[in-house]
Amino acid sequence: MNYPVWQLGFPGGLLIAAVAVLHVFISHFAIGGGAYLVLTERRAYSHNDSELLGYVRLHSKFFVLLTVVLGAVTGVGIWFTIGLVSPEATSSLIHTFVWGWAIEWVLFFVEIAAALIYAYHWDTLDRQTHLIVGWIYFVAAWASLVVINGIITYMLTPGRWLETGNFWDGFFNPTYWPSLFIRTAMAVGLAGIFGLVTAMWEPSPLRERVVRWAGWWLVLGIASLLPLSRWYFHDFPSYSRAYFSGMYTAVHHALLGGAVCTGVALALALVFALIRPKLMNPVVVAVLLVAGISVMATGEYLREFSRYPYVINSYIYANDIRVGQVESIVANGVAKASPWVEGSADDPHAYGRELFVIECGSCHSVAGYRAMRKITRGWDAKFASEILLHLPAVRETMPPFVGDEHDRAALGRYLASLMPATPSGANEKELGQQVFAIHCALCHSVGGQRRPLDLKGTDPEGIAGMLGTLGDINPDMPPFTGTDAEGHALAVYLSDPRQ
Amino acid sequence: MNLPIPYPDPMPLPAPVWLLRTLLLLTFFLHVLFMNCLLGGTAVALVCTMRRKSSEFSVRLAGDLGRLLPSVFAFTITLGVAPLLFLQVMYGQFLYASSILIGVPWLAIIGMVVLAYYGVYFFSMKGHEPNGKTTAVLALVVLLLASIAFVYSNNFTLMLAPERWLDLYHSNASGWNLNWSEPSLLPRYLHFVLGALAVSGLGLVVMGLREREDGYRQWLIEQGSLLFTGTTLLNVGVGFWFLVKLPGPVRLAFVGGNGFATALLGVGMLLPLAAIAHLIMAKANKSPKRQLAIGVSCGVLTVAAMVVMRDVLRNLALAPCFSPNRLPVAPQWGVILLFVLFFIAGLATLYYMLRKAAVATRMRVAATQKLQ
Ligand code: HEC
Ligand code: HEC
Repeated sequence: MNYPVWQLGFPGGLLIAAVAVLHVFISHFAIGGGAYLVLTERRAYSHNDSELLGYVRLHSKFFVLLTVVLGAVTGVGIWFTIGLVSPEATSSLIHTFVWGWAIEWVLFFVEIAAALIYAYHWDTLDRQTHLIVGWIYFVAAWASLVVINGIITYMLTPGRWLETGNFWDGFFNPTYWPSLFIRTAMAVGLAGIFGLVTAMWEPSPLRERVVRWAGWWLVLGIASLLPLSRWYFHDFPSYSRAYFSGMYTAVHHALLGGAVCTGVALALALVFALIRPKLMNPVVVAVLLVAGISVMATGEYLREFSRYPYVINSYIYANDIRVGQVESIVANGVAKASPWVEGSADDPHAYGRELFVIECGSCHSVAGYRAMRKITRGWDAKFASEILLHLPAVRETMPPFVGDEHDRAALGRYLASLMPATPSGANEKELGQQVFAIHCALCHSVGGQRRPLDLKGTDPEGIAGMLGTLGDINPDMPPFTGTDAEGHALAVYLSDPRQ
Repeated sequence: MNLPIPYPDPMPLPAPVWLLRTLLLLTFFLHVLFMNCLLGGTAVALVCTMRRKSSEFSVRLAGDLGRLLPSVFAFTITLGVAPLLFLQVMYGQFLYASSILIGVPWLAIIGMVVLAYYGVYFFSMKGHEPNGKTTAVLALVVLLLASIAFVYSNNFTLMLAPERWLDLYHSNASGWNLNWSEPSLLPRYLHFVLGALAVSGLGLVVMGLREREDGYRQWLIEQGSLLFTGTTLLNVGVGFWFLVKLPGPVRLAFVGGNGFATALLGVGMLLPLAAIAHLIMAKANKSPKRQLAIGVSCGVLTVAAMVVMRDVLRNLALAPCFSPNRLPVAPQWGVILLFVLFFIAGLATLYYMLRKAAVATRMRVAATQKLQ
């Protein structure tokens, strides 16, 4: 509202997700991989294993090329992206946590310097000092997770910060600890996966030795994920725990996919790394990489989804509108609040589109992701403007519509224009089914999970009469806006919904 | 006119403005030094690889730069993060708005940095024996870095020009914009790019000062001084062009309207001249070390003066509508103290590692020389 909206044609959150998943994947490797490097180096010294030492040296070069370049730059990339997509929330984060970030920056600096020195001074530094530099790297890298984790978890569960506004209340919030442990486990697992990647370049029998060693890391990381995610989930805000009950198919699929990927990775690691390391090959490693990135992506997706309708829980909505702003925008209208919308009088359709972009565009696109065109099929302007008053009842994941009567009518008209269709059917029941799809199915199902309606056997006339009083049954329900004939057809359908 | 300036964040600043500004300018100054060495250094490396057939020293310099540039790149980025952070705290509502308007090129920076970075690593692996391929890769790297700089120039001028925002937004809301209608865009960009080349010239002089072998040493110092002098003299002209193209009130402030701004401009013009004078005097001198050091220092101080001047320019341009000094402040002293402790510990750790690495390298070089 306060800022222009970067209109990409799809929700900017997808862009954040793309950059973030890549970054998170590499940066967790950058943490676990640090420990992997020093511990492998130490192992090589204590076993007097010069081949293993050769492997770590190679691995350290690969490590630097991946983490110092792609890892670090995509980290900056997340910053750029969130500033473009959610400037209001980014500004808020920066104002709350700039000193956290400043501390993280110091750690980042030390980390980069240590990584470069570690990778390029194998021959110059004595073993002791070289190991120390490696440890410095690892400690700095993990400590930067310790810092950033506070800021990330704060967005989901700001906890007491909402009342106190205190840095530490926001930082050590309810999900801080489980998240820190989960991420550390991920880091350990990813260190194993990338250890396998470079192991593929080594000849036998060194290869088997490394594969088994890296396999332990992988197994340890994955195996601890399950109990840790339960702990993490347990501390989720209660409203978002409800999202996992099966009501949201996307969440359901993500959970399933994540579980499958974790299981596959664990099985592959056990068989190909621990039991039969001779059989490990680049294809399996590639599958593990894909599984690893999928697990990370699932985790990030679920975390972001759990935050809906907010980007910072109870403080800023996902469409970058501040919770505290809502009242005044409802009273005065969007045009007063945003200098970026063009005059509302001359072109109501364009104005409606702008409102869509501002209020819905962060989660819906018109024709692609969560396509509005599919959702609004058959809507008329009256129904649309009524529904706008009940968005949180349609889905708990949605922020309320903000704006005055005039705004609501304009957005309603725009939404109704996306996919106009008059309900029709071969017989009254078919018509009734369509009326249900348009007017009720947003919130109800027949025999499904979402607020199932069971009016089977009820007298159609009684149902038709009830349609005039929906708002009395529950204030979360919009009045029925269809014609009398449609109302009657709906009643007939509901009284006997079987085909 | 009603300007679409977003209201500042309702939260108070988490530190006093002087502290934020000091950190902003300090870290930005360091960033600029590294960035200049990166941009100028890759350009120099490019020329070196092109001259690989005719000049032995060029090949040698390419190899040396290949060893240095990846680290220079790493620190350019790390040192760039901090000022961006502090800039956002103080001027966020301007920076976010202008970034969104040029969203596509702005985000493309990330992709360009990754490409350029890997290009530099490629060069660093092949730099000791340059060929056509290294030249091509370096040319691409220089092009990418110059483009990145250009996008930065666009954003940092656009954030100062809210009167242009609505037009850009309404002409293209998907972020396919640049700030072409800014009169000072090209001179500003040229000024900074030439400045980068000049500073990398100083970098060559410093490399020369640390070199043991006489011929190469002499050559480095000569080439570096030449590069600095040539680009700086050009830049005096470009600087005037830049000044002329500044918005009226801002320009007036720099030419007498504002004492501090004017003095700064004066210092900013005298320092590079002093640097050039010392570099030239050093040429005639048998033991030029001291003069070269003074010359380099004057050059580096010029950068500092330019960094401050840039900040003054920003504040003058925004003065009619905004000043961070008017924002409410509620310092988080506890966390600030923690930051300071981390900062000191970080510096100590860096010192420890760099020192160990330097000593070890020196010992190793000495050992190999003894063997030969
Ligand atoms: C915070 C993100 C977010 C915002 C902002 C948002 N929505 Fe949604 N919306 C969702 C999600 C998530 C769903 C559920 C999708 C699913 O079930 O998979 C949804 C579903 C819907 C549905 C029901 C779709 C169905 O499948 O029946 C409607 C209608 C809808 N949104 C309208 C809107 C309108 C109109 C706006 C703008 C005023 C808006 N939404 C803003 C996230 C959002
Ligand atoms: C914006 C969401 C929304 C829409 C659209 C909606 N309802 Fe509802 N309805 C609710 C809510 C919320 C309740 C309260 C009961 C609950 O939460 O399960 C409810 C309750 C009901 C009940 C009472 C059910 C019971 O078991 O107590 C009936 C009947 C009903 N709705 C019919 C309809 C019909 C018919 C339509 C379509 C014309 C419709 N609703 C459209 C949200 C909606």
